[in-house]
Amino acid sequence: MHREPRSRVELLQGTLDLLILRTLLAGPTHGHAIAKHIQRTSEELLQVESGSLYPGLHRLEAKGWIAASWKLSDKGKRARYYQLTRLGRKQLVSEQSKWRAFSRAVGLILNPADQEGQ
Amino acid sequence: MKSFFRRLGWLARRSRKQAELREELQFHLEEEAEQYQGEGLAEEHARWAARRELGNLTLVQEDTRATWGWTILEQFGQDLRYAFRTMNANRVFTLLAVLSLALGIGANTAIYSFMDAILIRSLPVGDPQSLVVLNWRAKTTHGDFVMQGMSGETYDDPKAGTEAGIFPYPAFELLQKSDSVFSSVFAFEYSFANNLNVTIKGEADLESGVFVSGEYFSGLGVPAVSGRIILPDDDRTGAPAVAVVSYALSQARFGGPANAIGQSIVIDRVPFTVIGVTPPGFFGTDPQQSPSLYLPFRTNLALGAANPFGLRPADYMGGNFYWVQMMARLRPGLSPAQAQAALSPAFQQWVTSTATSDQQRANLPQLLVKEAASGLETLRREYSQPLYVLMTMVGLILLLACANVANLLLARSAARRREIALRLSIGASRWRIIRQLMTESVLLASLSGICGVLCAIWGIRFLTLLLANGRNNFTLRAELNWHVLAATAGLSLLTGVIFGLAPALQATRVDVLPSLKETHGVQGAARRGLRRLSLAQVLVASQIAISMLMLVAAGLFVRTLSNLESIQLGFNRENVLLFQLNALKGGHKEPELSAFYAGLRRQFGEIPGVSAATLSEGSMVGGETGLPLTVGGTPVTPGTRIWNVGPNFFHTMQIPMLAGRDFDEHDRPGTPFVVVVNETFAKDNFPGRNPLGQRVVLLEAGEKPRVARDMEIVGVSRDARYGSLTRDIPPVAYILFNQGYPQLDQAEYALRTVGEPLSYASAVREIVRRADATVPVSEIKTQVTDIDQTISQQIAFAKLCVGFAILALTIACIGLYGTVSYNVARRTGEIGIRMALGAHSGKVIRMILSEISLLAAAGLAAGMIVALAASKFVESFLYGIKRNDPASLLAAAAILFGAAFLGAYAPACRASRIDPMVALRHE
Repeated sequence: MHREPRSRVELLQGTLDLLILRTLLAGPTHGHAIAKHIQRTSEELLQVESGSLYPGLHRLEAKGWIAASWKLSDKGKRARYYQLTRLGRKQLVSEQSKWRAFSRAVGLILNPADQEGQ
Repeated sequence: MKSFFRRLGWLARRSRKQAELREELQFHLEEEAEQYQGEGLAEEHARWAARRELGNLTLVQEDTRATWGWTILEQFGQDLRYAFRTMNANRVFTLLAVLSLALGIGANTAIYSFMDAILIRSLPVGDPQSLVVLNWRAKTTHGDFVMQGMSGETYDDPKAGTEAGIFPYPAFELLQKSDSVFSSVFAFEYSFANNLNVTIKGEADLESGVFVSGEYFSGLGVPAVSGRIILPDDDRTGAPAVAVVSYALSQARFGGPANAIGQSIVIDRVPFTVIGVTPPGFFGTDPQQSPSLYLPFRTNLALGAANPFGLRPADYMGGNFYWVQMMARLRPGLSPAQAQAALSPAFQQWVTSTATSDQQRANLPQLLVKEAASGLETLRREYSQPLYVLMTMVGLILLLACANVANLLLARSAARRREIALRLSIGASRWRIIRQLMTESVLLASLSGICGVLCAIWGIRFLTLLLANGRNNFTLRAELNWHVLAATAGLSLLTGVIFGLAPALQATRVDVLPSLKETHGVQGAARRGLRRLSLAQVLVASQIAISMLMLVAAGLFVRTLSNLESIQLGFNRENVLLFQLNALKGGHKEPELSAFYAGLRRQFGEIPGVSAATLSEGSMVGGETGLPLTVGGTPVTPGTRIWNVGPNFFHTMQIPMLAGRDFDEHDRPGTPFVVVVNETFAKDNFPGRNPLGQRVVLLEAGEKPRVARDMEIVGVSRDARYGSLTRDIPPVAYILFNQGYPQLDQAEYALRTVGEPLSYASAVREIVRRADATVPVSEIKTQVTDIDQTISQQIAFAKLCVGFAILALTIACIGLYGTVSYNVARRTGEIGIRMALGAHSGKVIRMILSEISLLAAAGLAAGMIVALAASKFVESFLYGIKRNDPASLLAAAAILFGAAFLGAYAPACRASRIDPMVALRHE
């Protein structure tokens, strides 16, 4: 088995939406915190580019999956807070099940031995 | 859907959203910097690190904004603003392009609107598509033919034979039974109802009407706006006499449609009751007519329709007198051809039964069923040819305008290559640049379209005025035609897009580097200029060719017009007032009728400011009369005419007497019969002899000619026009109106006035009203107008052609000016170098002008060839000149050359003033 010595993994196309939605499940927060949360939780494997984070957030807002409002941050500064909408929760559930099905399918192909062993 | 509205909301709050985004990203940066500081970086470095991490801030903002939607719209807004700025920077270019396109669009729309009104538009009735008109065609109607008498018109065509839309009454009864093919057949008749003397509330006036059968209104599907329509029961012998009046008449004479119902009116001394009013836009079945009265068919006999033909009512209604016009409504799913096939046998059988000889049976009329959605063909027959000529002219003008815009855009795109190359090099996409150039072209075309609408509206008003030419019964109802407006505007749009885009595509394919390196440099521009100029040169040359064509046409028509106007009339047309009286219809009978007319003439002569007054059977250039005359027992030259006139005729019309005297007060009924002859008559009949005192005998026409008057020649007059303006003056015998046969029914009075003739109209009306209020005064006009109206088509035509030629010339000059200006601007550097090397300003002007005259010569040659070939289409409109009139051709060429020089001179002068130092430092 060959393993690439890489500290970061490129985000798959379309997974950013899922990650943002999942992050917001914990409660409303601002863009910077979302990026840091994804980075930390993925053990620094996933690096969210700001260049795609903000367009992503605004895209989700336009779709109505998340809503934004201005609130004071922990340090008392005005920040744009995002939170999941009802539509967003539904979307998260369906995206999650899609992702699970997808990763299982990829797993089946990559590790046929595991499958037989089970 | 929700997200659409959310985005729509964002569009409205765009600037606030942008401020918010900036704040959001600023917050991100601060958070990030704080984090780096927490990791031990200095504040300054932490901030830089945060910026690095975020990347291109503007790009992030742009990408985010893109998710809000409306990017295309936003860019369109930018393009639009940029386009307006470019236009503002090139004001002359914009003005020229918009002006020429607007004129082209306007002229086409105006002319086509008329064409539509005359040739195409459907009748304003329900389901016009299912209407058909019934006609017949025969090889010829001359000789022994089943049609023994007629009231109406037939149309001869050398190839197709004679065609007509008039039938005998029994044919109408026959075709009415064909309900398997037609759901309705209805009849009408215009000729006899043309001049009805209508008295409403004691006031008499002449109105035009139409006799209609009982099924007319129901067949056309036209309801009454007030009261009821004429029904089959109203069209029976013995039914009370009823009338339906037009909306216009109800307003003019009754004060509204509701007030007209139940009113009594008197038509030619027969009382009628008004039962209904037609809808405002309705004008019957003939677009040329606008009847005020619709009367039941059968009432025409009561009004004396058979009398002018000397027929008994039974013959008038018989099988050999043709006068009934018919239309019908097809049953659904049937075509006119099917209807014709179905009806022909029955019609053939019937018409055979009316024939009385083998010769008649060998040449019987064949039934024709023609579609008639736009009504009868009268207008089409009269105007279609001139309209097609005009349509061709305005089409050429639009072509000219499009060529112009193409040329200007081409010239400009050449000048803008550098700008495009620059924009490509700093990262603009090709599609983005094409879109922007397209926006400019479309904006230009749209502006032209808007101005075109204004031109069209103005043009239609002007054309109506021109075509009506003072006639107040002008019935053309031209309206702005939106279809053609859309079509012409579409064409201009297409021109804008094609010629805006073709250079754009080419320009964006350009290699960035050479174009950027190139200054307004000599070599590059000159080398490329040659290739580019060739298309522009072709465009300018073809513009000149088209203008040449129009100018030749204008020249031909102007010369025709001046030939018509300089015709020697033989009388003085200035300061003569003309009007008609018809006392016969007012109930006056001979011999009192003549005395009534004579008495009025005396009273008119006494109006202050009237120096002489006379009367005759018609105006000088109206109709003609021919009756058998003999001199010394032998008939006079065929084509000799007589003219029934009153006392003072030659004095009033200022026709010089060569010998003898004018008619005067002493010539009257009972005194010796007198006659005045014209010069030609005297030469024809009394060569080398004194005609005074000789005798001329007038015979009454009929089976056995009877001597009506044995007259003594008392005067010989100089020749004067009679009847046609353009034919040779015939031999004329002037006879006195009140000395017996032939009796004068209506009188045309002529008053020689001091000053404006029309200002005497009220005095005339007052005198007639006091004499007999039931005799209306009609056709009040000046002798000048009367003459103009007989040539009004040629006049209108000539004026329009001249107008269009000027328009074409203007547009061509605009194009020339624009092209030369741009070329001069582009060649500033080259010209600067030439001048630095010693070329003086005169030489520069000569260089530019000689280039233009080469183009002009090429265009002229092409235009001349086409003009020579095309002039045969307008030959029938010309008078007194040949279609290849060399003077017109030469004048057109000279004017065009002059215009080309004029268009090129200003830019050439500008080029000659280029300061070499400024030009060389230009870049």
